[in-house]
Amino acid sequence: MKMKILSASLNLAAVAFLVGCASSGVKNPSGVPVTEMKADERGFVAGTGVESQDLVAVTEKMARGILSIQQISAATTPPRVALDPVINETRFPINKDIFLTRIRTQLNSKSQGKVIFLARERMSTLEKERELKRTGQVTSTTDPTVQEFKGADYFLTGKLQGITTKTKEGTSDYVLYSFQLIDVRTSEIIWEDSAEIKKQGLEDAAYR
Amino acid sequence: MAWLVCLAAAFALGCASNKPPAHQLTGDVITDGEYAIEHGPEKDRVLWHYRVALAAMRRGQFDLAKQHLDSAIARISNIYGKDESARKARGYFAAEAKKTFIGEPYERAMAYFYRGILYWRDGEPDNMRACLRSALLMDSDTEDKTYSGDYVLFDYLDGYITERLHGDGADAIKRAQAEARMWRPPDFPLAANVMVFVDYGPGPHKYATGQYAEELRFRGGKSPVVSARVTTAGIVGKAVPYDDLLFQATTRGGRAMDHVLGNKAVFKRTTDTAGTAAIIAGAVTATSGNRNAQMAGLALVGAGLITKMFSSAATPQADVRMWDNLPLYLSFVALELPPGPHTLTIEFLDAQERVVSNFTRVVQVTVPEVPQDTVVYVSDTSITPQTL
Repeated sequence: MKMKILSASLNLAAVAFLVGCASSGVKNPSGVPVTEMKADERGFVAGTGVESQDLVAVTEKMARGILSIQQISAATTPPRVALDPVINETRFPINKDIFLTRIRTQLNSKSQGKVIFLARERMSTLEKERELKRTGQVTSTTDPTVQEFKGADYFLTGKLQGITTKTKEGTSDYVLYSFQLIDVRTSEIIWEDSAEIKKQGLEDAAYR
Repeated sequence: MAWLVCLAAAFALGCASNKPPAHQLTGDVITDGEYAIEHGPEKDRVLWHYRVALAAMRRGQFDLAKQHLDSAIARISNIYGKDESARKARGYFAAEAKKTFIGEPYERAMAYFYRGILYWRDGEPDNMRACLRSALLMDSDTEDKTYSGDYVLFDYLDGYITERLHGDGADAIKRAQAEARMWRPPDFPLAANVMVFVDYGPGPHKYATGQYAEELRFRGGKSPVVSARVTTAGIVGKAVPYDDLLFQATTRGGRAMDHVLGNKAVFKRTTDTAGTAAIIAGAVTATSGNRNAQMAGLALVGAGLITKMFSSAATPQADVRMWDNLPLYLSFVALELPPGPHTLTIEFLDAQERVVSNFTRVVQVTVPEVPQDTVVYVSDTSITPQTL
């Protein structure tokens, strides 16, 4: 009888020991190997904000749109385009240049010279170089006193706007990405297109 | 018996985990925080990012602050869907503090607010506005909708920035002025070029109450400083408090997690009572003369003990980890200054509008020739003089 009770107690102690050892532990203690993903793929880390797959989808659509318009595809001289920063009206802080940079690189790589972009963000460096040439401190293959910096025919710009809804069912974010090509001489919008993305999610109750 | 000893030894060895190198706490938030981020539990990283970022801002280390706020925001903006640590924290046998810390809504809102100040400082007011909108969203799921998204300064700055970007910010400004509980934001000039953010007083302090510390509460609200004054070359700006973080922390209302913790507390209480009852009943039964009754009594005692073990293992304690270097009051002043160097003196005032000694801070700024905002952040705990 005593032995049975002793045995039962020890077994219970063993259970208690096991319970005591059950720590919260470390998730993925060995880490997770780097997973290379395509930029247009939705990753396993995701929110309702602006993500790489949105950037890729939106900029590719815009680049295709710009290439298809008459003023670009049928222009006798390639029009010169300057970038004007995107206006962010969403609730997501973003690197605004990234949209125009990707549209520019898409167009530069696919348009086969049908459109030329102006490096306006490098103007101070370019001006310094021109000044060095003008003062004879460095050589020049052309007459440095002649104004050769080109003016823009069009401005490419855009706007990001959003609507957010948060209820007990979750958070929903709708973002409208709109881009325009504006004729700098006439202020006419010669091209405009938009893309819209809506995402929803609900956090764990532990965070609500 | 031998197998049991071996098993215990094996488990004891198995339980020995690899610990990071010993670290002597220095008391310096940045040093200790960066160590904790590198070597401490992952669940506390966001908390340390918050603390380090704000400490860095108060020292004028804005790039460092940016890195930490970006890391924190990357985490708190991606909390949708399954989360293993959160799932465990909802279980009966894991404390709420086991979940990845992202903070209560007022803490998350402040992370966005401070990141926004740094965006504006970098010449990106629209990203500041985006941060303010996210901050307001953090505060939108209050139980009582009267207090939903009711940060006066956030709404005001949303409107003010929109106006400065040639949009229509009238609604947001009106909302801010209607929400004002302490001070009504004035119509700062749209041509202002020096934006001064001032905060002061010790922020909300979390504590747990209830039979099993399952109820999260906040205390604080006592500050020797109740307003501030920014002066430079004869210009005086009143940095009065527009928002009170203790008010924001306490007006959120019940959380979904409070129900979970309440259930855990009920489980703990019930199993404890049932266990006690079983042990007493078993002990009484075991003392009877009948052998079968004795066995049944002992079994009942065993069941009672096991039930007590479950009760003991239940952890309804509320998570009281907190962003402990937050301020109590948030303020803002917009000044219009000519290009060139300026010395801003920020004096912190008590309820009688007397300057609180040892709190005065000095910041040197150079307003650029080109139209660009100069953004200054000063707290009553900032280390100054700073040259921006």
